[in-house]
Amino acid sequence: MSLSVDRLSFSYGKRRILEDISFEVAPGAFCALLGPNGSGKSTLVKAIAGVHRAKAGRVAVEGRDTSSLGRRELATVVGYVPQAGDAPFDLTVREAVMLGRTPHFGIAPRQEDRATVEDAIVRMGLTDLAERSMSELSGGQAQRALIARALAQETRVLLLDEPTSALDLRYQIETLQLVRQITREEGISALIAIHDLNHAARYCDQVIVLHDGRITADGSPADALQAPTLRTVYEVDVEVGLSDGTVEVRPRVDEHGVTRTGSRLDEIDADGSVRDSTREPVDAR
Amino acid sequence: MTATLEKSPAPAPASAPARSHELRKRLVLAVGLVVSVLALITSVTIGTAGVGFGDVLRSIQVSILGGTISADFASSYAVITQLRLPRVLLAFTAGAALSVSGVLMQGLLRNPLVSPFTLGVSPAAAFGAALVITLAGTNQLPAWATIAGAMVMSLMVSALVLGIATARRMAIATLLLLGIAMTQIFEALTSALQFTANENTLQAIIRWTFGSVNDASWQDVLIVGAVTVLALPLTMWFSKDLNAIAFAGDDAARSFGVNVGPLRVGLIALSVTLAAIVVSFCGIIGFVGLVGPHIARLAIGADHRHLLPFAALSGGLLLLVADAVGRTVIAPAVVPVGIVVAFIGGPVFIYLILTRRNTLK
Repeated sequence: MSLSVDRLSFSYGKRRILEDISFEVAPGAFCALLGPNGSGKSTLVKAIAGVHRAKAGRVAVEGRDTSSLGRRELATVVGYVPQAGDAPFDLTVREAVMLGRTPHFGIAPRQEDRATVEDAIVRMGLTDLAERSMSELSGGQAQRALIARALAQETRVLLLDEPTSALDLRYQIETLQLVRQITREEGISALIAIHDLNHAARYCDQVIVLHDGRITADGSPADALQAPTLRTVYEVDVEVGLSDGTVEVRPRVDEHGVTRTGSRLDEIDADGSVRDSTREPVDAR
Repeated sequence: MTATLEKSPAPAPASAPARSHELRKRLVLAVGLVVSVLALITSVTIGTAGVGFGDVLRSIQVSILGGTISADFASSYAVITQLRLPRVLLAFTAGAALSVSGVLMQGLLRNPLVSPFTLGVSPAAAFGAALVITLAGTNQLPAWATIAGAMVMSLMVSALVLGIATARRMAIATLLLLGIAMTQIFEALTSALQFTANENTLQAIIRWTFGSVNDASWQDVLIVGAVTVLALPLTMWFSKDLNAIAFAGDDAARSFGVNVGPLRVGLIALSVTLAAIVVSFCGIIGFVGLVGPHIARLAIGADHRHLLPFAALSGGLLLLVADAVGRTVIAPAVVPVGIVVAFIGGPVFIYLILTRRNTLK
């Protein structure tokens, strides 16, 4: 297994954020990390990336325990892509991608670092933008530059922390396609924290659902995305179907346009049917 | 534009633009160096006693290689080697130190509006030095005593300001307001010391309230110069880590293997030390640490590998020119360099606040 996480726990002070997390991602697999806000997705990604150091548990990349690696060594096996944000200073796309080579060179980049950067720029379709300043790029282009940066880092595991959340539909899809292609071609394991269930189902090979810092489902999109699980985790009534062979999750809405949420979900049976169908639906007004 | 993932053409050569880019930056740096040397020599010739370009070169030659001086050249030689050279060299090295200090603070705090002056570090250093002089009751103190006073006070204040800022996850605007408050407090404290000072010490304290390079000595030049020359390669050693923190943020920098916490504390301490040493010789010279880095960014870009050495040159030149202006504008009276720089730096600071949308978030 390329990435394996074993009984990982993490807390901020006394607050437990992650509890006993264990999972594996195969080489070349693209894994989605789903869960509501505050479920610990971002913390899990950062704990694996070495941004936070976990209190207990073990993370291994291709069999090597990451806790035995120094910071810089870890940075050569695990790459991290944050959400694109504002930078206080302007730099060109090429300079931004070069940041990914930080763990690889000493004081000044060598010829091979430059070559790797050029390669990443070409592969992300950024050739025409290489001399542009990062602040001139659109959200989607900036996100691609950050993925190019991680690609230039040449790691075996790629972690993405909600890279699509601020993007419009087209750039979301573009980003996911790119990551999936990279994982396939390079045999890299990728783990992406993401909110959109349907995007996860369509582009990822594996889906992990986090709830209150624990894993509640882990498997193929069809296995992991089950209506009862999602109802509990998101506290929203949902319907899970198949469309073009891909799992599709939709919030279930009654004739008044109301979806059962929170405590009103108690009325739903395990199989998803409403217990008391004679009762008047809650007035939306 | 499509997001096609082009299959990598196996050994991808570093493209020509990347290489010429690097060459261009080195050229800019070389030009900056040449301009600096010429400006240094030129500014020695500026002043009341008529001294020419050739006189300066000859004096340098004589003082380094030895030789005899004719009687009519003796007075010019004395003016050049005892007054003018230390003065312009102190102005240049002090400007360089402040500018490098500003680059470090701006990069580490990820904000282009911070500098030793705007964070209240320089006023604190001035108070520390003034306090030591007042307590000793003499202006004949050894240099290390005032340096120590300046450093202790400024390190304490920066630890306080940045400590509060980190603990409360403060917005940059709040950090700057805290810096302004610190400036007010320490300027008031320094003014208060003036009431308790005797004639000897009063003169020395007043000198700090507006920075100047009057009465520069070779010893001043040697200390400020040595510290700057030692600090610059040290900061450049960490320039790629500085790049990671400044451009990618703390989390991403950690994911690149940068040990963010200790690095930030260490380099901020270095930055404060540079500012404190300059203050203990020249007093408070505001805005050089802010404007120097910005001039450098315009000229050579934001990559710290080139920015740090160029900012040293641009800060040095800025202070050199400001001092030359101060010496000529109402000659024979000399306007302290701190006042001239404030006239340049103040408007630039206002311009930065008004034009940079995101800096105050």
